[in-house]
Amino acid sequence: MSDGLRMAVLIKQVPDTSSATGVNPDGTVDRARAKKMINPFDKFALQKAIEVRNARGGEIFVISMGPPPAIAVLHEALEYGADKGYLLGDRRLAASDTLATAYALYKAVLYLKDIDIIFTGLQTTDGDTAQTGPQIAERMGVPQISYCETMEIEGKTVKATRIIDGGVQRLEVEMPVLITVANSAVKLEHKRFANVYKTKQALRDKDALADKIFTVDLDEVEADATRVGLVGSPTVVGKTWKIGEKGGSCKVFKGAAPKHEVELLVDEISKDERGVMEFVL
Amino acid sequence: MSQYTNIIVIADQIQGDLRPVTMELLGAASELAEKLGVKTHAIVMGSQISHIPEVLIHNGADEVYVVDQPELKEYSTLTYRRAAITVIESLPKPPHIILCGATTLGRDLAPRIAAYFETGLTADCTELDIGDYVHKGKADPNKTGTFNNCLYAIRPSFGESLKARILGPWKNPQMATARTGAMIPFKTDTTRTGKITPMTVKFEDSDFRLKVIETVREVSSDLDLLKAKVIVSGGFGLGGPEGFEVVRDLASAFSESAVGSSRKAVDSGWIPYSHQVGQTGKTVRPRLYIALGISGAIQHRVGMSNSAMILAVNKDESAPIFQFAHYGIVGDLFEIAPLLKEQFKQAVPA
Ligand SMILES: Cc1cc2nc3c(=O)[nH]c(=O)nc-3n(C[C@H](O)[C@H](O)[C@H](O)COP(=O)(O)OP(=O)(O)OC[C@H]3O[C@@H](n4cnc5c(N)ncnc54)[C@H](O)[C@@H]3O)c2cc1C
Ligand SMILES: Nc1ncnc2c1ncn2[C@@H]1O[C@H](COP(=O)(O)O)[C@@H](O)[C@H]1O
Repeated sequence: MSDGLRMAVLIKQVPDTSSATGVNPDGTVDRARAKKMINPFDKFALQKAIEVRNARGGEIFVISMGPPPAIAVLHEALEYGADKGYLLGDRRLAASDTLATAYALYKAVLYLKDIDIIFTGLQTTDGDTAQTGPQIAERMGVPQISYCETMEIEGKTVKATRIIDGGVQRLEVEMPVLITVANSAVKLEHKRFANVYKTKQALRDKDALADKIFTVDLDEVEADATRVGLVGSPTVVGKTWKIGEKGGSCKVFKGAAPKHEVELLVDEISKDERGVMEFVL
Repeated sequence: MSQYTNIIVIADQIQGDLRPVTMELLGAASELAEKLGVKTHAIVMGSQISHIPEVLIHNGADEVYVVDQPELKEYSTLTYRRAAITVIESLPKPPHIILCGATTLGRDLAPRIAAYFETGLTADCTELDIGDYVHKGKADPNKTGTFNNCLYAIRPSFGESLKARILGPWKNPQMATARTGAMIPFKTDTTRTGKITPMTVKFEDSDFRLKVIETVREVSSDLDLLKAKVIVSGGFGLGGPEGFEVVRDLASAFSESAVGSSRKAVDSGWIPYSHQVGQTGKTVRPRLYIALGISGAIQHRVGMSNSAMILAVNKDESAPIFQFAHYGIVGDLFEIAPLLKEQFKQAVPA
C-alpha cells in the first residue's frame, strides 16, 4: 500500500512481578529466575499501532533491546499482529542507563529507515523512568506526544490529545513523531487483543517466523559502542536499601458487630495526637 | 565563593498557574544549595507570567530567569525545550544540578534537556541529597575516582520495595525530576528579595512543528487532591463506578476533603485518571487518608504512605494495606463506610 505508514513500536521484556517465581519473600526480584513478560505499558502502545495499521494500512516493526531471551516478546508481538520484529542484542549494551538505551534504540529506528511514527509505552515496570521515549525523540530531532490519549490520522498529520496535570491538551503535528501511549488510551474492551488466537495459529509454523524476526547488533545499526553500556551511561546505581517497613503498628478492628467496632475505632482516632477530628464537618 | 555552580529549578506552570511541585522543588533545592554553599536559581517560561518570579523568590529562589513570550502561552515540548536550553547555555558554566517536577510537563521536558546536554537524569525522585561517591568499577577507567558533593537522586525501585541512590557525578548538570508531594516546600517568606533576570529566546521554525490547539483544564478536582487535608480513596473493592457514591458520601463528612482512587479503579473506567494516587498517579500527603477496598500494592503505597494517618477498610484481613495503615477495620466497605460517617459526625458535637 503506497500510503501505508511505517511504524516502530518499542517493547521491553521485564520481570513479571505478579508471578511468585523469582520474587523473593522480601519482595525483591531475582532477575535471573523471574518469569518474563512484555512490559504491560508497551502492549497498549502496540495495540494503538495495530489500530492505526488496521485503519490506515502500513507496517508495524517491533524493536526490543535486550539479551537473546528477549526475542520471546517479539514472538508475542507478532502473534498480536505486528509485522516484523527486531532484537537489538549486543553484549556491549549491558548496563545501559536511559540515555544510552535511548541512543541505541534511536540507531535501531534509523536502521529501519523512514519511520513515520515511533510508539513507546508510557514507562517500563522495571526501569520506570518514562524518559526513554522523549530521549529518543530528542536524538531523532522529532516532536513527541507524551501521555497520548487519543489520536486521529489524516494523511501525514496526527491530531492527538495528551494528558497534562489536571486536564488535556489537543495537539497537531506532522510526522515523523514519537508517541508515548497513556494506559488510558486503550479502551478496556480493547485491552485484550482480539486477533491473538487467529494469528497465533498462523505462526505455529516456525518457518513462518524466519523472515519476520531478526537479531541485529550495534555494528549493523551503526551505533557507536562508546555511547552505550557502562561506558556510555552518565548514571550508575550507587546503593540500594529496603523501604522501611512500618509493619505491625496497625491497629486492626474486627468482629461480628461492625457498628461496635466502628465506635471503638473512631473513639481511638479522636484521641490520636495526629488530630484529624478538626476536619469533621 | 563555592567551587560549585548553582542549582536550577525549572518552574512547573500551566497557563500562569504555578504548580505546587515548584515550591517543593525550591524547598529541596535550597537545602542542597546550602550544603554546597551555592545559590538556588529558577527558570520560569510562559506568557504573561510577570506575577510568578516574585512568588518563586518568596519561596526560596535567589535569582529567577524569566522567559515571557507569546510563543510560550501554551506548554509545548519544543518551544519550552528551546527556551530552557537557551537560558542554560547562556550561563557562564553549566549548573551543578537541574531539578524539574515529575509531572506530565516535567517528564515531557526534562528527558529532552538531559539528552540535549548528554547528561544523566534520574526520574521521579522522592529524596534528594548531597554526598560523596567513590567509583570503583574497573570497566571504565575514566570514571574511577572519588567525587565530592554529588547529587544523590533517591527513588523507589518499583515492584522491588527498594530505594536506590542514583549518581552521575561525571557530568554537569546532574539532573533529576521529583515527585509531587515528596519534598518539603520552602517556608514562604514574602519579605525575601532576589534578582529577576528577563531573557529573550529566538525560536526556530522547527520549534513550531508541534501545534497546541487548546489546553483544557479541570483545575478543581486535581488541585483538591494535592491540597486536601482528608482524602477518601476507593479501589477495586468498590465493584463498579457506583461504588464511588459511597466514597464521595464519606468524603462529604470532612472539610477540605477530596476523592482518590487506585489505578485498578481508574483502569476499569470507574473514575478519571486525575484521581489516581500512586506511582503513576499523584503523591499525596493529607492528614487523613481513608482507603476503601484498596489492597495496598507497593505502587499505591508509594503515593500515599506519607499521609499523617492512614485508615484502611478491607474485607480481607491479610490485605497488605494493613501492614502499613495506622488503623484498620476488617469488613465490607459498603457496611462500614456509612457507619464511619455517622460515628465521626457523632464524635464531634455540632
Ligand atoms: C508500573 C505500575 C504502576 C502502577 N501504578 C499504580 C498507581 O499509581 N496507583 C495504584 O493504585 N496502583 C498502581 N499500580 C497497580 C497496583 O499494582 C495494583 O494493581 C493496584 O493498586 C490495585 O488496586 P486495588 O487495591 O484497588 O485492587 P485490588 O488489588 O484488586 O484490591 C481490592 C481490595 O478490595 C478488597 N475488597 C473487595 N471487596 C470489598 C468490600 N466489599 N469491602 C471491603 N474490601 C473489599 C479486597 O480484599 C482487596 O484487598 C501500578 C502497577 C504497575 C505495574
Ligand atoms: N530495552 C528496551 N527495548 C525496547 N524498548 C524500550 C526499552 N527500554 C525502554 N523502552 C521503551 O521506552 C518506554 C519507556 O521506558 P522507561 O524509560 O524505561 O520507563 C517503554 O515503555 C518502551 O516502549
